[in-house]
Amino acid sequence: MSTAAVNVNTDLAKKKSARRKKTFMLTTMVLPGAIWLLLLRYLPMFGIILAFKDYKVYPKNPTLLQNIIHSKWVGFSKFKFIVASGNAWIMIRNTIGYNLIFIVLGLFFGVAFAIMLNEVTSKFVAKTYQTLMFFPYFMSWVVASYFLYAFLAPTNGLIPNMQKAKGVPADQIIDWYNYKKPWPFILIGARMWKGVGYGCVLYLSAITGIDSSLYEAASIDGASKWQQIKYVTLPHLKTMIVILIIMDVGKIFNADFGLFYNIPMASGLLTSVTQVIDTYVYSALMSTNDLSMSAAAGLTQNVLGFVCIMVANTITKKIDEESSLF
Amino acid sequence: MSETTAVSLKRRKRRINAVSVPAETIIHIIMILFCLFCIVPFIFVVIISFTSEESIRQIGYSFIPNEWSLEGYQYVMKMGTQLWRSYFNSFFITVVGTICSVLMCVLYSYALFRPDFKYRNFFMFISFFTMMFGGGLAPTYAVSKQLLGLHDNYAALIVPLLFSPFNIVIMRTFFQSSVPTELIESAAIDGSGEYNTLFKIVVPIAKPGIATIALFNALAYWNDWFTAMIYVRDAKQYIPLQYLLIKMQRDVQFLSQNSASLGAEAVKAAVNLPAQSLKMVLVVMIVVPITFAYPFFQRYIISGLTVGSIKG
Amino acid sequence: MKKKALALVLSVAMMATMLSACGGNSGTSSTDTSSKTESSSTETASSTDTAAPAEDEIAEHVTIKWYLEGSNVSDDTEVMAAVNEYLGEKLNMTLEPIWGTWGDFDEGASLSLQSGDDVDIYFTCSWTTNEYSQYAKDGYYVRLDDPENNLLEKYAPDLLGLIPDVLVDGANVEGASGFGVYAVPGYKDIANQYCWDVNVTLLEKYGYTLDDVKNRTFDQFGELFETVKQGEGANFFPLLPESSVIERCVNRVAAIDDNGLLSYYFNPENPSEPLSKYGNVLQNKFATDEFRTFAEQMRKYYAAGYVDPECANSQTSTETRKAHQLEGTYLIGVQSYAYGYEAQASQERGIEVQFVPCEDPYIDTVSSRGAMMAISTASKNPERAMMFLNLLNTDPYLMTLLEYGVEGVHYTLNDDGCVVFTDKRADYTPWRNGMGNITILPPQEGEGVGYVERFKEYYGASHMLPTTGFTFDTDPVETEVAACKSIVEEYSTALYMGSAKDGMLDEMLERLDGAGMQKIVDEANRQLDEFFKSK
Repeated sequence: MSTAAVNVNTDLAKKKSARRKKTFMLTTMVLPGAIWLLLLRYLPMFGIILAFKDYKVYPKNPTLLQNIIHSKWVGFSKFKFIVASGNAWIMIRNTIGYNLIFIVLGLFFGVAFAIMLNEVTSKFVAKTYQTLMFFPYFMSWVVASYFLYAFLAPTNGLIPNMQKAKGVPADQIIDWYNYKKPWPFILIGARMWKGVGYGCVLYLSAITGIDSSLYEAASIDGASKWQQIKYVTLPHLKTMIVILIIMDVGKIFNADFGLFYNIPMASGLLTSVTQVIDTYVYSALMSTNDLSMSAAAGLTQNVLGFVCIMVANTITKKIDEESSLF
Repeated sequence: MSETTAVSLKRRKRRINAVSVPAETIIHIIMILFCLFCIVPFIFVVIISFTSEESIRQIGYSFIPNEWSLEGYQYVMKMGTQLWRSYFNSFFITVVGTICSVLMCVLYSYALFRPDFKYRNFFMFISFFTMMFGGGLAPTYAVSKQLLGLHDNYAALIVPLLFSPFNIVIMRTFFQSSVPTELIESAAIDGSGEYNTLFKIVVPIAKPGIATIALFNALAYWNDWFTAMIYVRDAKQYIPLQYLLIKMQRDVQFLSQNSASLGAEAVKAAVNLPAQSLKMVLVVMIVVPITFAYPFFQRYIISGLTVGSIKG
Repeated sequence: MKKKALALVLSVAMMATMLSACGGNSGTSSTDTSSKTESSSTETASSTDTAAPAEDEIAEHVTIKWYLEGSNVSDDTEVMAAVNEYLGEKLNMTLEPIWGTWGDFDEGASLSLQSGDDVDIYFTCSWTTNEYSQYAKDGYYVRLDDPENNLLEKYAPDLLGLIPDVLVDGANVEGASGFGVYAVPGYKDIANQYCWDVNVTLLEKYGYTLDDVKNRTFDQFGELFETVKQGEGANFFPLLPESSVIERCVNRVAAIDDNGLLSYYFNPENPSEPLSKYGNVLQNKFATDEFRTFAEQMRKYYAAGYVDPECANSQTSTETRKAHQLEGTYLIGVQSYAYGYEAQASQERGIEVQFVPCEDPYIDTVSSRGAMMAISTASKNPERAMMFLNLLNTDPYLMTLLEYGVEGVHYTLNDDGCVVFTDKRADYTPWRNGMGNITILPPQEGEGVGYVERFKEYYGASHMLPTTGFTFDTDPVETEVAACKSIVEEYSTALYMGSAKDGMLDEMLERLDGAGMQKIVDEANRQLDEFFKSK
């Protein structure tokens, strides 16, 4: 064989082994995570069949797995309770409706605030704002509900007291926890309060990653602030925004249980505007902890969410491949 | 470019590109209003934690209590060694957990970010799939406890939170936005191995993103009590702070909700349990330490204006 | 790519199945089949009467894990050292208690049970998540009087003799291995007696006496409320209700199930009989005339300002009620009575508290299952667990050690032989009523000498509801129950407290109908009929 040919072959061989080495090295990087997923997420997945079985203990070998294997198949009967209360439509409407609003508003405020923070001259002031905005994220919904209660409580709350002081007659003072109308706004406000600081941090980090020379070039070209935001900042945030939206869509059938259970103080009379799938499941299964029924509820939410996210992802892929989830 | 020229260029850039003063004033106003909205509840919580039980019984929660008192804090201090042990546990778990989980996340996401990784889609899918589907609490508990031995030790509190598919996606997106692929290619041509490229070249660029994920993970570990509740049952010395404190609250809550069944016994038992100001004391004790840690992360999240490597 | 992923997922799931099967627990092995003759029931307790187990049965040293509820224990070293020394001698075993608290027992115990943890004995009852009859049915608890392996007979012959028959009857349930006893009942406060909790100090301030309360019906309380409210001011709320409890006080109904959907009306003059109007038929709690009258009356009282609006909010009502009780800012409340409680209540609240009973004390299935100990089917040593339970419930030394601690360290005995607690008690406070037979304990200082006798007398004289022993198996109607429970939760607090709007009761009834409430009632009555036939 000629030297040239030998060289080409060796080159090809080198490239191949370099590629294989690269693949090998990269695979070692995903290994820890993959093992974790296997052991802690995939192994327990046998539990999904619980949704279709009537769970009973198998006395000869009472481990969870054996119990599941020996329980009777009951098809979809464990799913019925989800829609049996007559409230199914309201639950679903509330869950999806609120989540959609949360996604849109959360995105708007998160991005807007991040951009604003980035423009603040003093870095110290910006950091202070950011720290303060993050505080609600530290607090649990239980605590937040007490705070809200202090404002809205029927006898001692700040707002009813203010109304009393102004001389509003007793039967016109708003009984907040029994009056439906303001609650959608209260819930949305509460969710924004807790989530915007978090979203803002995410977007701010992304903005900080934008190469400043791009802004430089744009401003030299005569672009105004708005134009810079429109043509430099937003496009760079696009991927992050789209991916977060897709993931939120995947969770659209899962409500923030803490929010919907605690903030309205589980007041039964507000149900038509505060009940979501998760709070219903909780109240239906509270005293029995029935494995099969809770598995059924969980599976329903997961499957529906999965369908949604696949749809969202496919749509995104058609428009902008890079921003899709996979 | 020399040091000083770069610095003065920076300053000039700032002045050229800054927003107008009125615009910035509006920004400040909006920020201040929102920050008040965020921080006032916490101040309220602090006030209640220093309120006496009497005052709460008489006028409920208020910004101006009838009577100030330290009784909530005194009650907590009575827990003595268990309290400090729990603080230590929480710190330990948070620090070790954050380091390990961030490492795992960066490694996994980086490989996913590389368009030339052969199995990229596969590993993305197996991670994402677990975000959508899960086996449920009881099967996970059974596997963790019986098969993997995760109970009554630090591992039980660290391992369950090590990996988050959500953070993987975020991290990958950070890489995509801030790391140009040409950089990787040029590093490969220069003969850099994969790990070397990752740690020496990519990580410094992606610091804001990594710091963000580190912050989220640290918070997750610090605030987590559920894991402790179900996995630490026999060995009390491993209990982290959050769980110690939430336990008290749950005890009272259970008695409250079931007093009809338990009758007089519940009332007897409940009288000895701490009450309303205590709840707020617990919140303060949990939130304050993490707010001290926050500036540490922040340094990396809001970095300076110049970022990104300058290509020759 | 996707197909590959799916294939991998499936193969992993299969691998999981195989792996878990290898690592799973081995089944419980049955022990020897020799049977001992049943001992006759007596009412005396004596540790020396307990027959010691045969040598070969306790040849192997085992550890028994015991999951308790309602504990407040931070340091059990001294107690467990003494306990295990004693148990080592007597039964060649070590006890490892799991001190579950009020807040974490529900989640922890049911998770433990469902995943087959290596815990031997669990606390169970009618009001925790690992509810006795449901979990017996699902197969989590060992049948203690199984004809093929009667653990009670073999290893606990003395135990049942010390507790009233009614408790043993009440423990019979249709479980996974047939109709029988699946847990050892605990002898504690077992009867229900709902009372009006009266602030006598305040009552007398306005010139009334306790008889004024005793001789009036619920709707006649209005005059008392009005007078006191005029006197005490607009921010004073004379009526202090507690959700479903107040309905039971007014209507004399017993709860049949844990879900709050059904009522059983008994004859208030004689709870061993049903109310003649309804007989032995269970009612939709909310559909009866009595309930409607009650709800209307509550609405009137609420509208007149006799009830604190904070009580109408389910999250805060308990805190509010507790606060009012401790401050003494109420006139009449409700209370589910426990023997001897008025002395303690008076002391805590700084006022004179008296309880006016609404009926004679009665026992029903729910109250007879207030505290029980079940042996888990996943336990490897059910016989030893049974031996331990037998010793615990018959041996005053062991019971006192576990309940009160070590003498001289956690408590001292005064001259009357009553228990006086020391400071160390704060480190070791299990829930006394949640361990077993408390009648073998020495009395506490506040209870006084002779307490145990009076206690037994009071509870011994309790009536037994005709429905005692009946458990409503909700499996055939589980869907309807889940749906109805959720609906009830929306409205119940408002209805019980009186803050309900016009027409709310009808609205709820309509929705319940739509969710299959009648099916639940019919099924329950069908089962009740069968129960009576089999008696």
